[in-house]
Amino acid sequence: MKKTVIILLIGAAIMASVFMNGCKHVNEVAGQPTPLSFTVPAGFPEPQYKFESNPLTKEGFELGRKLFYDGLLSKDGNFACASCHQQFAAFSTFDHDLSHGFNNQFTTRNAPALFNLVWLKELHWDGGINNIEVQPLAPLTAPNEMAEDVNNVVNKLKQDSKYKEMFRAAFGNDEINSQKMLKAITQFMGSMVSANSRYDKMKRGEVSFNNAEQLGYNQFQQKCASCHKEPLFTDLSYRNNGMALNPYLKDYGRMRVTNKKEDSLKFKVPSLRNILLSFPYMHDGRFYSLDNVLTHYSTGIQASSTLDPLLKNKISLSTEEKYYIKTFLATLTDSTLINDKRFAQPE
Amino acid sequence: MKFLPIKIICFILLMTVLGSCQRELQNGMELSGKTFNLKIDFKAVVDITPLQFNTPYKNFFQEPYTVSAFKFYIYNINLINTDSNIVYHVSKSDYFLIDASNSASTEISIKTMSYKYNYISFAIGVDSARNVSGAQTGALDPTQGMFWTWNSGYIMAKLEGNSPLSNQPNSKFEYHIGGFKGAENVVENVLLAFPTRQGVEFLPGTSGTITLNANVNAWFSNPNDIRIAVNPVCMTPGDLAKKIAENYSKMFTIAGIVNN
Repeated sequence: MKKTVIILLIGAAIMASVFMNGCKHVNEVAGQPTPLSFTVPAGFPEPQYKFESNPLTKEGFELGRKLFYDGLLSKDGNFACASCHQQFAAFSTFDHDLSHGFNNQFTTRNAPALFNLVWLKELHWDGGINNIEVQPLAPLTAPNEMAEDVNNVVNKLKQDSKYKEMFRAAFGNDEINSQKMLKAITQFMGSMVSANSRYDKMKRGEVSFNNAEQLGYNQFQQKCASCHKEPLFTDLSYRNNGMALNPYLKDYGRMRVTNKKEDSLKFKVPSLRNILLSFPYMHDGRFYSLDNVLTHYSTGIQASSTLDPLLKNKISLSTEEKYYIKTFLATLTDSTLINDKRFAQPE
Repeated sequence: MKFLPIKIICFILLMTVLGSCQRELQNGMELSGKTFNLKIDFKAVVDITPLQFNTPYKNFFQEPYTVSAFKFYIYNINLINTDSNIVYHVSKSDYFLIDASNSASTEISIKTMSYKYNYISFAIGVDSARNVSGAQTGALDPTQGMFWTWNSGYIMAKLEGNSPLSNQPNSKFEYHIGGFKGAENVVENVLLAFPTRQGVEFLPGTSGTITLNANVNAWFSNPNDIRIAVNPVCMTPGDLAKKIAENYSKMFTIAGIVNN
């Protein structure tokens, strides 16, 4: 009996190796799209999303770009992805705590800036989205955002001759479906990389920090970097950073996704890259300035059972130290990203 | 587990090892025979009567209700002969969305090897890997309305309707059962014995149909008591979803096997 099992298993192993090679998918031919390569910046970790089942191409990227800027994806035609994710604000909503959606409604959270998304394990403030490809479905179907139905969007795309042409160019055949739409948007959003700020140039030895920047960097490393870990400036964890529950939004953060009490009031640690452009701050945009944020960490932290242990004693910050930290944070603005024509609205 | 001797378990493991390449495997196995065209016909019923939408029924607790939607995913279908320890693994990667409102979806056609079988097994739901693999097509396309957009993952089975005992708007009751992570996983495996112990011979080049009843009333009881008055809504992964899934894993019976 045991022998039979062993023989079966060996047989299985041999067959597996033979068949695995035999079942590679045949690429759809016709009108070959032009491959694009994705470069991981020096010092960055391996991305979570590697475009393995969604090969990056010029045509796929351009289709994603058109979709990102097209109000057709929303119920009334007014709300493109780009209406809440503006390039000049590092793809956050400039100067808005909450964004605007369908029928004069507010969103319930601050629109996050979009860059370096392929390094994220999960998306959203509560980490509810487990794959960048399905991320667009959330704003698309939320009744207070784009308020659309995925079927309607696909049908609208099918009726548009320009889209027909672009889907064919990107994917080699005429079929338009939600998967191709989502993969194209992913090619566009996933290509938004922020790695050319003054900080990055300093890291690469192209520039040197001045005194104030260097002092700020030192302060940052001592007091902020355990959560806002370089080079992404987030450790991708979920933490309660001691903000009182907003009585109107009643947003308990990650608990909504995990159903676990210990996740109450925890939100994703956001990246600090481009932080000067992405104000207001926090999941509900309650702090309009970096001063508000630094004051919160030095004196405003509210105790609760899930408060992050690192913040139990608040963060001691003198006025001077706050000034230096802000000076350092200004070096994280990436003008290359916000001026990159590839990510601008297509003509 | 009484029905599955160790050899069968090993065999199931072996098939799992071969994973994504089931179709190629078919001809390589000792089942070198010919194809048999099998249809599996899912009939939605309430106890013994065919389900009709918006028609009053009563559950085990005598709670009145009507049904407006009844859908579930099926995958990993296997045909088994426990005498010769043969498991015919139809396909692990094909997903079928059975939607009681769409007759085209309730009968699925699969090619199998002609052989004598006495069990059928399948899983209800969507494998955890498919819940995290990004955008999908076909039965798993998010346009099917079985995908949670705010907390990524598939609704593996759905039962919606109305009951005067529900305290929700318009007396709605809604069970959207999902969850794939660790203890929240609601994928349920179903093993059903054919009506005759010796099995049914599926002859080469012919076709046949296995009719499976899917009993809506099973959702509410055995082993877990689910009263509409107490739990009119289940929309998130967790304990309640697990309990309802455990109940509906027992909703299937073989109503008949027709072999031409």
